[in-house]
Amino acid sequence: MAPIIEIQNYSWRYSYAKMPALNGINLIIEEGAFVGIIGPNGSGKTTLAYSLDGLIPSQYRGIKQGAVNILGREVEAYPAGALQKLVGVVFSDPEAQFTAMTVEDELVFGMENLGLSVPEIRERLEWVTELAELGQLLEKPPYEISGGQKQRVALAAVLAMTPRVMILDEPTSMLDPVSRKRVFDVLVRLKEEQRNTIIVIEHNLENLASLADRMILLSNGELLLEDETHAFFEKMDLLLENGIHPPGAMLFIHRLMQEGYYASRLPLTVDEAAACLTEVVARLKPPGPASSRG
Amino acid sequence: MNKTLLGYVPEQSPIYAVHPFVKLFFLLVVSLFPMFIASPEWNLALMLFILGLMWLSRVDMRVLRIYVPMVISMGSVIFLSYTVLGGVHPEFGLAARIAGVNIYWERIRDASVVYARILPMIFTMVFFLSTSRERDVIVAMRSVRIPFVVTYVFAMALRAAGMVLEDFQIVRQAEQARGFDTAGKSIPYRIRKYVMYMIPLFALSLRRSEEFANALLARGYAFTGEASRVKRADYVLTHYSFRPADLLLTAAIGLAFAALLVLRFGFGYFELERSWFIAWLKTALD
Amino acid sequence: MATHAPSIPGAPGKMTAEQIWSVEAGERRPVGVIHIVILALLIGIGFVVGAFGSISFPLGFGVNFFWTGIAVQQVGAIWFGAWGVLAGTIFPFFSNAVAGTPFYISLAYVPANAVQAFLPAWAFRFFKADPRLQSGRDYLILLATMIVSSAFGALWSPLVVLRGFGLLTTESVPLFIWGWFGGNVIAGLVFNFILLKALSGVVIRTPSFVKRWLS
Repeated sequence: MAPIIEIQNYSWRYSYAKMPALNGINLIIEEGAFVGIIGPNGSGKTTLAYSLDGLIPSQYRGIKQGAVNILGREVEAYPAGALQKLVGVVFSDPEAQFTAMTVEDELVFGMENLGLSVPEIRERLEWVTELAELGQLLEKPPYEISGGQKQRVALAAVLAMTPRVMILDEPTSMLDPVSRKRVFDVLVRLKEEQRNTIIVIEHNLENLASLADRMILLSNGELLLEDETHAFFEKMDLLLENGIHPPGAMLFIHRLMQEGYYASRLPLTVDEAAACLTEVVARLKPPGPASSRG
Repeated sequence: MNKTLLGYVPEQSPIYAVHPFVKLFFLLVVSLFPMFIASPEWNLALMLFILGLMWLSRVDMRVLRIYVPMVISMGSVIFLSYTVLGGVHPEFGLAARIAGVNIYWERIRDASVVYARILPMIFTMVFFLSTSRERDVIVAMRSVRIPFVVTYVFAMALRAAGMVLEDFQIVRQAEQARGFDTAGKSIPYRIRKYVMYMIPLFALSLRRSEEFANALLARGYAFTGEASRVKRADYVLTHYSFRPADLLLTAAIGLAFAALLVLRFGFGYFELERSWFIAWLKTALD
Repeated sequence: MATHAPSIPGAPGKMTAEQIWSVEAGERRPVGVIHIVILALLIGIGFVVGAFGSISFPLGFGVNFFWTGIAVQQVGAIWFGAWGVLAGTIFPFFSNAVAGTPFYISLAYVPANAVQAFLPAWAFRFFKADPRLQSGRDYLILLATMIVSSAFGALWSPLVVLRGFGLLTTESVPLFIWGWFGGNVIAGLVFNFILLKALSGVVIRTPSFVKRWLS
């Protein structure tokens, strides 16, 4: 796969800030990858997201060094409105990103900005409505629906523009667990059915770990770790040092590994963890007495 | 129920069958009617007609309660302005003398005419606000080819107004949770409190502006450059069709206005001299 | 190394009024979506705040004893230049509409509202007054522009609009003139100074702050 995103020695310092928000970032993301970005608050995750969408530097004042290339072209080289056809962003606050009066208008707004025709809009509208299960909500004002529904609307609105890269900046931070799961269900479908490059910035790793192909750890504006997901979580000590809370099931198996009970691949899901535990218990179970039947 | 700019209207209301352009046209044209009608009885009849339209549209008539104090105070101000503060005019007919102040018949007449003019104008606006959803106003504006950026600013302003109201409630509840409540307090206290509300409201709105701008940009909206010149599909207009009935209504409103002008300037209708209400009022005060 | 909008020397707290309003050589200040958003937000805030004033303290025909909307009109224009002036001109139309002022009367008020918004914005830029109100001169410029602009509004609206529409007698015009003038100046005294003092330091750092008229 060809790289769709290339970041070369990139640093960004906001005006009036003493320290750079991002410092010397080098990163390549290949097309079609599902990438998770994690890090403590203030580590530069949102700054990175904004840098990929061209919001930085167009909307923010600061000092930039290095380059951020999307499809081989620097983000600043794209004319206004052009980069957003390639890169879509879903922000963490669903309320702040609604631009229209009804859910349907919200879904359609981006497509109108792209200059699509009515039949094209209708077709895509049908598709994203089905994908994000928004059929019953189309006539409702966005501010009258639940938080989880809002985020699915926001996701669908960006998806309707069929960007090649989708960035979700803490999309479930304001949601309850059920709503969070529903948003991730949409992402699962996206991963299975589409070839978008998806970048998800999250604190909550329960759902992300099992989906991501690669994971990135940011801390204090620096890229500390970047690897395939399983290998990423092998560096548990580094993650814990940087305030990352892996899924409970993973942490539990990690403890077993530290105690020497388990030495294989770290599980990413509860089911995988249960399988690991079964394996451990099976090995630890003392052999039973010989059968006395017959 | 569907939310309108001033309340809620049931989904079964016949008003939804009317194209939003017709509602806007009604507001713009019918608001002019009272300017050409001097006879109070005709203006009051127009007001009743508009109230009737509201009732037919199944508007919750309790929305009018908001306007009752305003209508009463406006009427009082008009009458006071014309009578007590109307000055000394020996050439006018004296209707009464109260506490040393002359109340002239002509002033009472003029105040009645002005008040009767204002009332249908107010209720035309109330009718429009209570039967139009935000989307309707946008559609009406787009139907007459008002540039997208103008209609969109208007739509964003409506959204912003809604968010400010919500923020105001939140800030107020937070204050009340701290034991600050303006109910029953003096005006200077209330003013101080509202100053305290204004600062966080402004601050919240400023923060929101940045997020909102980012969201617009993320959706590919541009104000300048090539992206701003993209031909928009105006998908929302596909939900509305301008039917023969809408054309008929528009024509009826236009013709009514034309007829009004002809009757007024051609045949002297709606003038004070022909007003039976004024004649009755004069008789009553004599 | 690319620098975007070269930083103004020193932290915001150390900036002089001259520096606040000056565009540095090479500083790029494009008009963008943020300005459209600010325009819409100011109209929205003004709509709510103005309607509150119009409904709570009415004199009649959109004239109020204490018009809270003046704060959005004048402070918004000082911070956001032409966008604030435009918003300040437009929002009273909507707040008056909700408060029951007839459509064409609200329309006729537009020049008064435009001047009330424009004058403080112009004066702050022309005289390089500090929006953070750091000196007596800044306070004086604000007060003077509030008084002069409200005086214009008070003369235009009751005299030209209401008398022109035949809604008032000549003798009652002074009541409305003083009502308009007092309602704006008193509300301005209560809100404008505090808002500028409390929030200007933050606003001048934002990309939406307008140094000239459009950006």
